Amino acid sequence: MKRWVLWFLLAPQTWLLGGVWRDAGLPPFEVGVLACLHLAFFAERAAVPWLLLGMAIGRCLVDEATLPLHLLVLGIPVAVLLPLRTLFFGQRLVWQVLAALLCAIAIPRLSALLGQMFDQPSSAELLEPAVVAWSAVLAPLLLLLLRRLPPWAAFEEVR
Amino acid sequence: MRKKPTAFPVGLYGMLLFALCWLVLPTIFAPLERILVGGVCVVVRGVASLAGTPAEAASSDNAAESQLRQSLAARVHARALPDPAAAWITGLEPVHCAVVDVGKRLGGGGAPCELLLDHTYAELAGCRQLVTKGGALVGWLQRPGSGAAADDTSTDFARVVLPNHPLAPAMHAEATLAVGDPLRLVVRAALTADPAPLRVVLWDDPWRAARLEQAGAPVRTTVGATGGVVPAGLLLGATRIWGYPGVAGQAPLTLGVYVTPAVVPRALSHVVLWRAANSGAFGLDDVPARAVARYPGVLQELPGASHGRHLLITAANVVSGAAVVQRDQLLGVVRPLAFGSALMTSFAASRQPWNLLLLSDDEAQGPIEVQAVVVAADANQVHVRVVASVEAAAEALQLPQRTAGTLFTGSNGIHCPAGLQIGRYVVDPDDGAAIFVTVPVLSGSQTVEVLAAEGGS
Repeated sequence: MKRWVLWFLLAPQTWLLGGVWRDAGLPPFEVGVLACLHLAFFAERAAVPWLLLGMAIGRCLVDEATLPLHLLVLGIPVAVLLPLRTLFFGQRLVWQVLAALLCAIAIPRLSALLGQMFDQPSSAELLEPAVVAWSAVLAPLLLLLLRRLPPWAAFEEVR
Repeated sequence: MRKKPTAFPVGLYGMLLFALCWLVLPTIFAPLERILVGGVCVVVRGVASLAGTPAEAASSDNAAESQLRQSLAARVHARALPDPAAAWITGLEPVHCAVVDVGKRLGGGGAPCELLLDHTYAELAGCRQLVTKGGALVGWLQRPGSGAAADDTSTDFARVVLPNHPLAPAMHAEATLAVGDPLRLVVRAALTADPAPLRVVLWDDPWRAARLEQAGAPVRTTVGATGGVVPAGLLLGATRIWGYPGVAGQAPLTLGVYVTPAVVPRALSHVVLWRAANSGAFGLDDVPARAVARYPGVLQELPGASHGRHLLITAANVVSGAAVVQRDQLLGVVRPLAFGSALMTSFAASRQPWNLLLLSDDEAQGPIEVQAVVVAADANQVHVRVVASVEAAAEALQLPQRTAGTLFTGSNGIHCPAGLQIGRYVVDPDDGAAIFVTVPVLSGSQTVEVLAAEGGS
């Protein structure tokens, strides 16, 4: 129970920390990539839907689209990558970088597509090459650190 | 490699399916979203409370601001009225109303075909059906309980049916051609799949009509239209020819003639209704602009505020889409959350379409009513692209070059009324359909007010 309380209180703040990171002049990256990588490759499989909910709530803090739209924007890449976990078990860094690259492209594209479909334009629709590149590089490295911290560590899949 | 027995993530797919249902039925699940996001904001609120005392609005020149607002109101009203020499306005006086919503229903040409005004049917009881904008016909005010307003009651916001509504009456009109006598015609709503909102269904001279080569001829109403509901001389729009152009000396083949309306409804902020002058039913001031209540609140800066999102703390029950202002300066619009907080999206960060009023510094120019979207923002500079103006759709849109002025909100719903100042604007020298707007930068805690229209919902 404690890990869930911590997750729903702290994990959404990751999005705000991402903004602080950018404001500090550090290389910009998409926090959604971090969330998708964690949920698709490292999180406890049974917990993924609820972990996704926590991350989608966090995205509501920084983007004007509604919660269900964020669930879809983050959830669709996870739904595609999660079955691949059986193939890429062990998660070499190269696979993570490749997956992060795909997520960094997919997230703004999905935001634009779903936003147009459901009349909920989003500020995250713009596909910036620098953000894509930095997300591919930084997300796996930052995830390496985050997975050792609570509440992320509490949901690491036990093998 | 170890294979897991459950490769198929049923729970995740269930969550995505639930999200889809949520998007289709948003009102049912809205309280859930408020609680979930509001709960997370409790942490942010706790951190933000350490930020210190909220700052008051900076003092400014009240007289200048007041003069600017008066100028806006006067120029908006002047722009909305027809030529004073028009014969049909004799014995009538105007009632200015704001448009609070463009109906979801699509009419001819796939365009919206209904408007909702900021007054109820009861408040507009003495008005005629005719609704105009400048010298152009906008539509017809409905009566509650009949026609398109069959489900409405007298306390609902008044509904206006546009000429492209399936229930709108056919109109007698004439097209003024460059050569020869005007062509008389009958116009009515086109089908949703048609290329323009109105379609010409009858001509007095089909032979000439079939040989029309140039589009854009102005179409005006004529006497006898719709049993006297529409007077003669009102601009309906311009002709649009659908067919094949003439090639190698052959005559063009016209398949149909349509009329593109003179008024683009989605960019409308104000319209004019008409009632008998000195009718005794009520005086000029009996239909004032809808009263707006102001509730105090504190705006807290969210960390990573480059996103343009702010936490609003208020004891009032704020409504989604309500404007947040500091004095009469628009800061953004809110989405309410549970536990006494709300999230505000600043104008610069919002990607929703906005109805705006461009008030040029040149007093000879009338205000321009437009619909626009923010495409980019950098610090206090916002790049705004105009997607439609009341007089012109996007393809023909061109703002007056090298003009500057003050940008105000148009009518963006009942809780975000027209006339709130946004900032100074200049027309983009490289793009006649875009403007650069300078908006105030918010930092730290601020005391603000949230608007809520009284009697609105």
